[in-house]
Parts: sequence; C-alpha cells; structure tokens
Amino acid sequence: MSSLSATPLTPEIVTQDGNSMVLSMGPQHPSTHGVLQVMLEIEGETVVKAEPEIGYLHTGIEKSAENLFWSQAQTVIERMDYLAPESNALCYALAVEKLLGVTDAIPKRAQAIRVLFAELTRIASHCVWLGTGGIDLGALSVFFYTFDLRENILDLQEAAGGARMHPNYVRIGGLNGDLPDGFLAKLDALIEKFPGRMRDLRGLLQANPILQDRMIDVGVLSLDEALQWNCTGPTLRACGVAYDVRRAFPYSSYEEYEFDIPTRTEGDAYARFLVRLDEMEESHRIIKQVRAKLDTPGPVLVDDPKIAAPPKETIALSMEALIHHFKIVSEGFRVPPGDVYHAVEGPRGELGFYIVSDGGNRPYRVRTRPPSMYNLQALKSIAPGNLIADLVVSIGSLDPVFGEVDR
Amino acid sequence: MPSTQSPPIAGAAIDPPSLRPAIDDAVIERVDVLGVRARLEALKNEGFTMLLDLGAVDYPQRAPRFDVVYHLLKMPDAVASVAAVGTPARVRVLCGVDAADPHLPSVVDLWRSADWAEREVWDLFGIVFDGHPDLRRIQMPQEWEGHPLRKDYPLRGPERDRSPRPSFALKSNVQAGTPPSGRTLEALQEQIKRAAARDGAAHE
Repeated sequence: MSSLSATPLTPEIVTQDGNSMVLSMGPQHPSTHGVLQVMLEIEGETVVKAEPEIGYLHTGIEKSAENLFWSQAQTVIERMDYLAPESNALCYALAVEKLLGVTDAIPKRAQAIRVLFAELTRIASHCVWLGTGGIDLGALSVFFYTFDLRENILDLQEAAGGARMHPNYVRIGGLNGDLPDGFLAKLDALIEKFPGRMRDLRGLLQANPILQDRMIDVGVLSLDEALQWNCTGPTLRACGVAYDVRRAFPYSSYEEYEFDIPTRTEGDAYARFLVRLDEMEESHRIIKQVRAKLDTPGPVLVDDPKIAAPPKETIALSMEALIHHFKIVSEGFRVPPGDVYHAVEGPRGELGFYIVSDGGNRPYRVRTRPPSMYNLQALKSIAPGNLIADLVVSIGSLDPVFGEVDR
Repeated sequence: MPSTQSPPIAGAAIDPPSLRPAIDDAVIERVDVLGVRARLEALKNEGFTMLLDLGAVDYPQRAPRFDVVYHLLKMPDAVASVAAVGTPARVRVLCGVDAADPHLPSVVDLWRSADWAEREVWDLFGIVFDGHPDLRRIQMPQEWEGHPLRKDYPLRGPERDRSPRPSFALKSNVQAGTPPSGRTLEALQEQIKRAAARDGAAHE
C-alpha cells in the first residue's frame, strides 16, 4: 500500500475510500507503551495491514557510547532498556571483560550478585509488563499489586547502587562495592513475600474469564513466523522453542543454578502471559539459590588495578594506588583491540552487544542487538486479521521498551 | 564543522576483527559483497535459521571502509546446551563494503527480520541494500541529511541556525502579540502607560 510508505504528519484519519481506511495509532496513544506509531489499514474494525513506525525516542546512545570512556559508556547503555537496566549493564560489562580477557578473574561473589540483580530486574520488568498489560485490558487493580512488588526490588537496587532506576551497580570487572548492611534482610523479606504475591496475581488473572476472552487466540504468532522475525525470549518460548541464552550460552556462572525454561506451544497472547508468569517464579527459584551463597564474604571486584581502581582507603597510604586512581578517573583504561559479541537473556529476549575496540580508552563501536526491536517487528505478522482492540493486547504481550527499540 | 566533543579518530582502527579472532564462541567468516548473499543462504540451509542481528562498523581509514556484520544462530543446537552439542552455534559473517559504492544485496527475502535492521544500517551509515522493499530512514526523521553513526559525523550534529532565545519572557510575549495570563495586548500597553505616567508624576 503506497499510502502507508510515507509517514503522515499528524491527522488521525489519513485516507479514506470506499472500504478501507488508513488510521494512525500513536505515537501518543496510551496503550502503545511508549512512543510507537502504528499505521493501520482497517476495514471496519478489522486490521488489514499494520506498519509500525519507530524512532520517536532515538537518542543516539550508540553514538554517545563511542565518545565516552569504556566505564562511562555503561551509564548511557543502562538507559536503553530502562525497565531492566542491570541486564544491559551486565551484558556490556561481560562483553568488555571478554575483550579485556578477565572473564575468568571475576570473583565468584560478584558473579552471584550479578545473577541476583539480573533476576531481580527480570521480575521488576515483568511486573511493569503485567501491570500495564492489565491496564490495557481494564484490570486496573493489578497495577498496584505489581508495582508494589517492583517497588521492593527498586528499594534493593537503591540500597546497592544508590539509585532506584539506574543503579549502575554492575561495573566492568565486578561490582561497585559489596552489598550494604541490611540488604540481605530486605532480600529475605522479598523472597518470603514473593510466592504469596504471585498467588494473588495468578488468582486475579490466570483463570479470569474476561482476561482469557481477551487473550486466548489473540495475537497468534506461529513458530515459523517467530523464527522469521527473529523473536527471542518469552515471545519465542510461547511458540514452543526452549531457547534461553542462560542455558544455551551460560554466562556469569548460570550453569550452577537449577531452573526450568517454561514454554508453551499456542503462540498467542495468553501463552506469552503464562510464560512470563512462570519465568517470574523461575527467577524466584534462582534468587533463592543465589541467596544461599551470599553469606560467605569475598571480593566483588577483579584484582587488577589497571581496570578497577583500588579501594579508596588505600589512596592516602600508597603512591601506587593514588596513581592508578588518577589514571582511571582522568583517562579511563585501555582495552586491547578486537571485536566481540556477547549476549545475555534479558527480560525481553536475547540482548546482545557487538563491541569493537581499537585499543583506545573509548569503545570504537557498540552495536546493540535489541530484543524489543525484533519482537516488535513481528507485529506486522500478528496484527492483520485482528480487531483494533486486540492490537492493543498484542502490543502489550510483546512487551516492547522503546528506549531499547530506538536507542 | 566537527563538534569539539568528538574525539580524534584513532589510527589503530584499521581492522580490529582480524587481530584476535577467537575471543567469543562464534565462528567468524569474512566474505565480499559479491559472495555475501550466497554464503548467507548456504548458512541458512545448514541450519542457521535465525539472523540474530545485522549491524555495521565504520573504519574511515581503511578500504573497504565499512564492515556489515551478520550474526547467525543455529536454532536446534542453541536450544540444547552448548556443552552437550559441542559445536559452535553462532556464526558471525563480516562483509566489507566500499565507501565509493556502498551497495549490498538485501536479505529480507531470506529473513524478514532483516527489514528494520537493514533500514537502520542505511539510516545511520548510508549503506544501500539492493532489493529491500522499503528502504527509508527508520530512526532519524525522513528529511534528515547525513548518516550519524559514520565516524566523520560530528557528535552534536551538523552546525545549524538556531533562532536566538528570547532574553525576557514578557518582552517576547508582547512582541509576539500573546500577553501572559489572559490579558490582551491593549490592556498590557495601557497598564505600562499608566505606570509610566504614575512614575512621572511621582518624580515631579
């Protein structure tokens, strides 16, 4: 359809002929979970063709990263997927550590705490998806249940990293300091609280006939389409493929933890909903296993003063420590030349970084593989034949984050 | 004119991928523009059913100037654990593209997911994918000039005329004919006149 190719300015109804009509949904539509515009060709209430338009939140993060030190770039990279900042930070840190050749030198305790935050952030991200997805369907009270749970997780992020949304706690070489006093008590309280809250959420939603009516057989994605559109994460697992980066290419000692990979075969919005709920419980399982390891103290930063600044207390006592501090703060550290691709399982799927170093103190190129972008593209297959109201459910069930889609 | 914030282009960046080929678990292949499509199609038939990602890197001091990087994943192997399979399930295909003739065959008909990825590479690097059904900008506005992720593109964008900021809100409002807080321009002028007359009277 040629009328779909050119982006229109603002009018709601773009063209209208006898049977079909082209309608612009978004970029300010409340149910698009960000700034997504979907150009819809509709016949009555039925979508004939949907063309998502992205780029409204493009902030040039990849360009910015090329102009910052290796450690500074992490700050902007955390802001891509703002619902799961620690996944981004972890993936970037792991990729740079591979280039540095220090992957095996990362202390066990740091690896365990990284896994802890990767899983906490997955639960927090799924909480936002579930809460806002509930609002899409008219279930307003779910939002308060899920955001209460997320609030507890943000508290933990704040305690560890100092900021609620973007803690910048995972660093290249380890972590920004050990867990603070009182953290484990808060974590225990959360572990204790979680199963009851999940029971509430499942009770409210899973067997709810209204919700089932709105989700079953809506937004169906076949396995073949999912592979063609390069979907990963819960979207792919709801089509029956148990691909999970944590299992396929283990990182940060994920092979030490016991967890299942929930899958469904229906490929509809309800299947994605169930897969994510199961994933939250699997994350809880992993968190409990990590918790058991956290009682034994240990270092959380790689023992290499060229990459990680020595403890601040040593500055006043050691000339060498002072020099290392000065060098790292004023000109960063250098990374040997080479290229690397590293991926982690983010809440939305395979989050990957292709990083090129030219031997300097700034990344030469940071290319992200954004899972949301590829999952969202599948909307072109999902939407046709569905009602407009179901499109809202479909977008919600793909769980896109536009900071990551547009970068 | 380049922004002052852009760091100098590092001289070492000629071909970093060739220096240390085995840092990660992917098999790395280098192909040229003429062979890239055939190679990708062959890999797809070998079981690399997913085109995970497609991106580009700019090396201004090298010929060919660009690298287009394809990341492929072998699906059945990737589902099982790596240790059980023992063969690498990732392939990274690098294809050099010349700056004078930045053209490359599109793979949208092999993997539909390449659609947005190729549009993004065109948008941010200016590399044309021949055969793409709808190759237009995706991140930047349609009327944008230049390709921001090229190394010679200034960090803060091209120099452009910015209209001067109004120095004083009330003044600018009066000039624009839209006075604040619902008062009309006439009422505002009247008030200023009255105030001037009052001040004048006080001084006499």
